[in-house]
Amino acid sequence: MAKDATPARPLSPHLQIWRFTAPMAASITHRGTGVVLYGGTVLLVCWLVALELHPPGFERIAAFANSAVGLIIIAGYVWALSFHLLNGLRHLYWDSGRGLAMRTVRIMSWAIYAAATALAAIVMWAGFFSGPA
Amino acid sequence: MSQKGTSSFIILRACAVLLFPLSVWFLIKVVSHLGGNYLEARAFVAQPLNGLLLGAFIIIGAWHMRIGAAEIIFDYVHSWARDVLLFVNWLVSLLLIGGAGWAIYMISFAG
Repeated sequence: MAKDATPARPLSPHLQIWRFTAPMAASITHRGTGVVLYGGTVLLVCWLVALELHPPGFERIAAFANSAVGLIIIAGYVWALSFHLLNGLRHLYWDSGRGLAMRTVRIMSWAIYAAATALAAIVMWAGFFSGPA
Repeated sequence: MSQKGTSSFIILRACAVLLFPLSVWFLIKVVSHLGGNYLEARAFVAQPLNGLLLGAFIIIGAWHMRIGAAEIIFDYVHSWARDVLLFVNWLVSLLLIGGAGWAIYMISFAG
């Protein structure tokens, strides 16, 4: 009965009970992009380890990176990093107790989606498609 | 893993602050090399400054990721699977740190 003696801790609300709002979408996207970056970092470390350990394997990874699927993965990683970076800045700003007025939060949520998309497009266009700087 | 809330909160944010300039550098300098050939990519990572920054990006990123992923696990997993996932999360993070640290040391500093 020791288990019953522990008071039930409050649970995080589940995804499906929320009405759609931009701040809620941005919050979920922040976590979603975090998970995407987790996977992307695993791929990045595979890229690095192959670069040291196995040149033929590395050439296969590079060829995959230039395929259609590879491009989608890299563009997705770049967008996720752009979004998480910008929204993470907002989180740090929130931690200072500022920027929490509802109107500001709503506007900034949309602005971060737009800015992340623009940043990712610039990085992909200027960086990836035109080759190493 | 209880009683760690405050230190996790602080470390997550300290890593975030460090990751900001590193991520900007990554977006500008590294993404363009991901589709490059072997010699070109190797020449890039072999420069010690690039190796240092890439290593910092991955290692600090892995620690930030471990704390963030643990937060998600605590929110949504309430069964015995929680401990398994938290352990796997630790293991993956340490493997990423070890793998990246080793590869970059070999390419940028040991050659």
